[in-house]
Amino acid sequence: MSFEWPWQYNFPPFFTLQPNVDTRHKQLAAWCSLALSYCRHNKLYTLDIMEAQESPVFNHKNIDRKLSMEAILIVFEELRKKGNLEWLDKNKTRCLVMWRRPEEWGKLIYQWVSKNSMVNTVFTLYELANGDDTESEEFHGLEDWMLIRSLQALQMDGKAEVITMDDGKGVKFF
Amino acid sequence: MHRRGVGAGAIAKKKLTEARYKERGTVLAEDQIVQMSKQLETFKSNLEEFASKHKQEIRKSSQFRVQFQEMCATIGVDPLASGKGFWSEMLGVGDFYYELGVQIIEVCLALKHRNGGLITLDELHHRVLKGRGKFAQDVSQDDLVRAIKKLKVMGNGFGMIPVGGSYLVQSVPAELNMDHTVVLQLAEKKGYVSVSEIRESLKWERERACHVLDHLLKEGLAWLDSQASGEPQYWLPALFSELTSRDVTPEEANQISP
Repeated sequence: MSFEWPWQYNFPPFFTLQPNVDTRHKQLAAWCSLALSYCRHNKLYTLDIMEAQESPVFNHKNIDRKLSMEAILIVFEELRKKGNLEWLDKNKTRCLVMWRRPEEWGKLIYQWVSKNSMVNTVFTLYELANGDDTESEEFHGLEDWMLIRSLQALQMDGKAEVITMDDGKGVKFF
Repeated sequence: MHRRGVGAGAIAKKKLTEARYKERGTVLAEDQIVQMSKQLETFKSNLEEFASKHKQEIRKSSQFRVQFQEMCATIGVDPLASGKGFWSEMLGVGDFYYELGVQIIEVCLALKHRNGGLITLDELHHRVLKGRGKFAQDVSQDDLVRAIKKLKVMGNGFGMIPVGGSYLVQSVPAELNMDHTVVLQLAEKKGYVSVSEIRESLKWERERACHVLDHLLKEGLAWLDSQASGEPQYWLPALFSELTSRDVTPEEANQISP
């Protein structure tokens, strides 16, 4: 399914940080929504800010408009405040994008496990995120850092336990 | 004192009254009055018959409504003048426009966060029809204009700005004076306008042009595009043609403040 761009994406002023406070508020909300949808659609979990600036989201070549670095950082700060983004370094060059929160991922994973009557089985992290069995699941391809956080969220709920094995981490579901 | 006979006095009085009426040139004989009242009765029952025959048509056909309105205008009647009364109750004309007014308000409210409270009549028409569904009554742009005029009279902050052969419908009481209106009309062609364009077309001073554009930004009717080649452009979401058929997304709906 191809990505559906919101109407703002084709509206040239969308790429200019609006001077009017109320309009800017709406603009930033729309940018946050667009950035998250785009990452979700393309299963992006980390962003490099320099690369992001050149990606179709922030650089709309067809209408010859791009969001300035200053504006991108403002959008990212909004996402951070909402809990959807985490900087990986002090210089703010790379970040984690959480278009789904760890708790939400945990829930999805647990649903799959119980649906397939695999409670009480032990999985390696690799099996869970990259195994053949989970290929059609949304959490397939989930990056390790997010997977671990999701499982930790389940652990807090008493639904799983993260265990250390010889060659890495695994998880048992209850 | 010996009183005069009643008869003599009454006759004298009558003669005096008649003389006075003749003076003024208006003589309404009693039988004429009876005649008129009979005619009014006939007129009223004809009207009632007309109403029951055409009530359905009024609700169904926008063309019939236009002709009906024009006929009313010729005889000096405004069917929408009051909520109650013959037209409203017998024909349901008032109901039709009242309901339409409510629909118009709903559409404008739903889109206000996008376009700042300004919408083209075309887009409004398109969305009202969409909201009514396939099997609902036909609604014409004439109907919309009349309903909006009613809303305006009731003080709902509605206004209509003529642009490019049609109208922009304003649904928020943003203060728009003649200068603002004229710039909106200029922007209608391309959906955006710049300071130079305003100065060229309207022969204004730079300050006057900037003042108007700043006001439009402030009212949330225009957005600034500073990446346009040459000079900044001011775009109006209300005139952005790509927007007209896009539904309000769930995210947008969440942004709508009551």
